[in-house]
Amino acid sequence: MTQSSDARQWLERTRASGDLSELLDAIPYARHIGVSVAEDSQGLVFSLAPHAHNIGNILLPALHGGVVAAFMETAGTLELMLAARTARLPKAIDFSIDYLRTAQQVPTQARCTVVREGKRLANVRVVAWQHDEAQPVASARMHFLLAELPSADSVS
Amino acid sequence: MPITSPSLPPSFADWRTAIERFVQVVPHTQGLGLEVLEVAPPVVRMRLPWSETLLGDPHRGLIHGGVLSMTLDTLCGASVLCGLPEPEVCPTLDLRVDHYRPALGGLAVYGEARVVRVTASMVFTEGTLWQKEGRPIARGIANFVRLGPRNTPPGFAAALFGETLVAQPGEQSAEEI
Repeated sequence: MTQSSDARQWLERTRASGDLSELLDAIPYARHIGVSVAEDSQGLVFSLAPHAHNIGNILLPALHGGVVAAFMETAGTLELMLAARTARLPKAIDFSIDYLRTAQQVPTQARCTVVREGKRLANVRVVAWQHDEAQPVASARMHFLLAELPSADSVS
Repeated sequence: MPITSPSLPPSFADWRTAIERFVQVVPHTQGLGLEVLEVAPPVVRMRLPWSETLLGDPHRGLIHGGVLSMTLDTLCGASVLCGLPEPEVCPTLDLRVDHYRPALGGLAVYGEARVVRVTASMVFTEGTLWQKEGRPIARGIANFVRLGPRNTPPGFAAALFGETLVAQPGEQSAEEI
């Protein structure tokens, strides 16, 4: 099996089951920082575990801003994989994050909105909060290139 | 608190030691083994060694995009320290990352960041990451807020250049800027 057809099966299986936890488990860095996902009435809610190794500032203490960014990038990518009209692999083009409040060493949640899904490009917005969804700790936006999945018999 | 004697500004070697301390007390980057290669204020160079933990796409064997954001945030933040007249605590206001090409698993990530402009309240920085010389994988632009000497913990500079940084519960937070 080629790597590409492997990726295709992986994505199609996840989209069919709607279960992102298996996919998250297969992403080493997402597992390292402790990303998980649940669903509520409004959609997917991603969580970042307050691991000691996610701290960036021991004086405050506060989570590493880059870890919060990585968490939100993961959330945006997975949301798009699942929400896109057809199974395509999102490739991140750019990412921008605004830090609105200090992220304390407590669980962080994030919710994503696919703002636009075009033929080739997608724009996703991500908002992260800790104690109160109305008081976000960070907001982010990213652009993706939507790559066609290679057919199952193509060579990678 | 003066960094050293006023007539003797820190040397490049002093700065390298200071930035190494800064990176070593950050649990996340310490855990991943981020190394400081060179500090020539206001430019900082680092190397993130390859490890399986960095993977974001195991099927294509690519490093997680978030690893690159995290490294750029750290690099740009470190450049801020040595780009100011005296080190201050400066939270990141925002960060933008452009992904130029995929970051390949199995290779270390090298990076360089510099302070572009310092104003009374802001520090503007930019950074670049690469794996092979001359082939950048990502560019980052990060802006930092100066909290000023008044909001910088006493002994912050001394800790960077002298004794070990000790965790103290801080008072300042982004809400108070």
